[in-house]
Amino acid sequence: MDLSMRQLLAVAAGLAVLAASACSAPAPPRSAAKPSATSTGPATLPAPTGAHPVGTTALYLKDTSRPDPWNLDVDARELKVTLWYPTKRRDGQRAPYMTPKESELMLKGLRISGVPDDTLSKTRTNAIQDAEPAGRKLPLVVVSPGFTKPMSTLTSLAEDLASRGYVVAGIDHTYESYATTLSDGRVAECLACDSDTDPGFGTGVIQGRAADVSFVLDQLPAKWDGSDRIDRSRVAMVGQSIGGAGAMAAMVKDSRVRAGIDMDGTTYARIPKSGFTRPFMFMGSPQHIPGGRDNSWDRDWKLLTGWKRWIVLSGAEHQSFTDGPLMSGALGITPPYGILPGARSVELTRTYVAAFLDQHLKSRQQSLLDKPSSRYPEVKFCPATCGQS
Amino acid sequence: MTVIRTAAAGLALLLAAACTAPAPPRGQASAAASTVCAPPQRTPEAETPTTIDVIEQAYFCILGTYYSGATLDARSLLTAGFVALTQELNRNGRDLPEATMPALTGDRKADWTAFENAYRKVTDQVPGLRDKLAIVTLEAIVSALGDNHARWTHDAKRPPDYYEGDGYGLGLQANVNGPQVGGNPGVAVPPLFVTTVQGGAAQAAGLRAGDIVESINGSAPFIGGKATPAINALYPQYPEARPVRLRLLRQSTGRRWSVTLKPGLFQRDLAALQVVRSKLLDDSIAYVRMTGFAPDSANRVLKAISRLRTGRTLTGVVLDLRGNGGGSPLEATRLVSAFVHGKVTAYQCTVDGKCETSRTDDTVDLVNLPLMVLTDRSCASACEHFSSAIKDLRAGLLVGTRTAGVISGPAQGYLLRNNTLLGFPARHHLGPNREVIDRIGVPPDHYVPLTSKDAAAGRDPALAKALTLLSK
Repeated sequence: MDLSMRQLLAVAAGLAVLAASACSAPAPPRSAAKPSATSTGPATLPAPTGAHPVGTTALYLKDTSRPDPWNLDVDARELKVTLWYPTKRRDGQRAPYMTPKESELMLKGLRISGVPDDTLSKTRTNAIQDAEPAGRKLPLVVVSPGFTKPMSTLTSLAEDLASRGYVVAGIDHTYESYATTLSDGRVAECLACDSDTDPGFGTGVIQGRAADVSFVLDQLPAKWDGSDRIDRSRVAMVGQSIGGAGAMAAMVKDSRVRAGIDMDGTTYARIPKSGFTRPFMFMGSPQHIPGGRDNSWDRDWKLLTGWKRWIVLSGAEHQSFTDGPLMSGALGITPPYGILPGARSVELTRTYVAAFLDQHLKSRQQSLLDKPSSRYPEVKFCPATCGQS
Repeated sequence: MTVIRTAAAGLALLLAAACTAPAPPRGQASAAASTVCAPPQRTPEAETPTTIDVIEQAYFCILGTYYSGATLDARSLLTAGFVALTQELNRNGRDLPEATMPALTGDRKADWTAFENAYRKVTDQVPGLRDKLAIVTLEAIVSALGDNHARWTHDAKRPPDYYEGDGYGLGLQANVNGPQVGGNPGVAVPPLFVTTVQGGAAQAAGLRAGDIVESINGSAPFIGGKATPAINALYPQYPEARPVRLRLLRQSTGRRWSVTLKPGLFQRDLAALQVVRSKLLDDSIAYVRMTGFAPDSANRVLKAISRLRTGRTLTGVVLDLRGNGGGSPLEATRLVSAFVHGKVTAYQCTVDGKCETSRTDDTVDLVNLPLMVLTDRSCASACEHFSSAIKDLRAGLLVGTRTAGVISGPAQGYLLRNNTLLGFPARHHLGPNREVIDRIGVPPDHYVPLTSKDAAAGRDPALAKALTLLSK
């Protein structure tokens, strides 16, 4: 269960937040918690669908203008940014998915046992490590993962966008993830997890994420050799869970972000009552239908005055927008009955995210975004026609 | 109403306490009872209306699993339910000749059947009131337990424009708050005054800490020194939105005036919402404020102390538990264990006197510093577990006022068939000396109350006393 649902339940039940983790919202059977089958070996991320081979590289940035919000002994904010981009190079060393240590910490955080600690680090990716970027005037997509999750959990989406001609800047928000390897090799763990049941916690996280995003946008030109290939007038942001809430928050604070997608994240940012005209898309699991337990999308929907969509994917769960479902075989987990298989949830996520970005950053009209499609019958358009599914 | 409000206002935290407590041994609850109700295994689905079947489930759930369920006279529950039912009928101008209590025999099942028949006969005639009648009946049955950790949570709604961290209400806290309003209201003492202006209507109207509330909607907060239900109106719960009229006195100027405050959402300071906050005082005292025994909060307190200790010599710790509504008894025990080892922190006992013992976790490193604990009448539940253990085990001194006396026992939540949650304890709590703390509270070693003048001047006499004691 994600942070937002836990806190939401606390309030919904009329309990103070403390009650949340204690009883009103018992730890759900995490999709990952019960190894019920044997591991099928390391996962392979699906091939990107765009025309370009994909390169990737990591940047380490340090914001000395503010203290770290979680580690009180650090007076600067260190961030790891992973870039994915089109390249011409077709062969070379594939980038690691994560380090063995990160895999170990991730499995520990998810309370998965019964498979080797380094299982996730063996995941096969498609991007060539440090390949030379190619193309010009490329639109930029900032990507932000869910709480406790490293950026690598959105690799299949990031690689696909890069293959379609986008530069992706994925941010590891330090101390908000089970594992982030910093520039000097230290591995930052989830310090923010200590306080994740505090009231107002999510609101604090997204304020920090918005600051992280603005800092990355400020720094990118100077810190990456390939940055002259970016068209800085065409920037969007996509995030899952609290990363999606972060997309909304970043857009409210920073007008450089022209469009945004929130994948299944309860939102926390206050949209000005005067309105919010830049394009925004909510993309959710059936938990996020209008009138559901989470009021946040209903609340924000009224305040979005520009192009907007609210789609809900039948059979999706919170992790369906991430690489999570692709890992179930490797982790020896039988997915819950009725949940979209990983290959399909990745296809849906890639397709609709790309359609949104193509329409709003590349000015290519996408009929997929206007009405239901027989090719993707899982996708329902809310609030008008999605109903209880 | 009182029970509900209690829960909503301050005791909210208490249910939490419950949940992490060890489940009663299997043999304890009868096999039949354990199938009647169970703790929720995942996020409950959407609530459905409360029906007589839900009330039946709650009734047998209580009899099977509640602390004194095995021995209590079940007729008292059914009678309380029927009283509430008839009062509600009457309030709605729909009293009925058939609305009479059936004869009860003391046979729990037969009595239920008689009750259900009478209940159906009444409610079938007033279909428009059916939901409301079911709710007041079940609320009354739960409140008949007279247990401040028994609570039925239902129909909790949030304002549609709510943002996480927002408060709802008038935007103020008074010295009478939380458990003193509903959980143990007899403990409040006059005068009633504002302690914190949080935002919203109170802030807009220019209220300040220290302002004395002389009347609420025309009623006195205290009569003959005893708190009145009028104080409830200071803490409206959504969807209550009726404006509240306050008559105020500002002692510094002698000004008397009235304001009308409309309840609503207000933004709260995010930093102030953190459950654990710390700072260094007098260059050598670790001051840690903890507003709840949330998961991990004992570790957070200990981390904060060791962080403040890095590179300097501390001479003491002030742990500020004022307003701490409780939480997990495991966290309470863990935190006690940082100050004393090898001791019992509490007993949890069944109605027939069989007790489980909570012992310190001696794997927790001792802090080895003098400890002052600031308490007040809003320190409830796990907060009292902690405070009583520190006091009884002489691991530190309590400074401030007596604790809330709201610690019947650790509650567990049970999911009812309409996806509402019934919570209550299976065991009752006793302190390390096997003393009852519930309703009595833990008296401080040093009694230092907060006055309205202190609040107006921003003084904190309890903290000042604690620092004085540490410097001796």
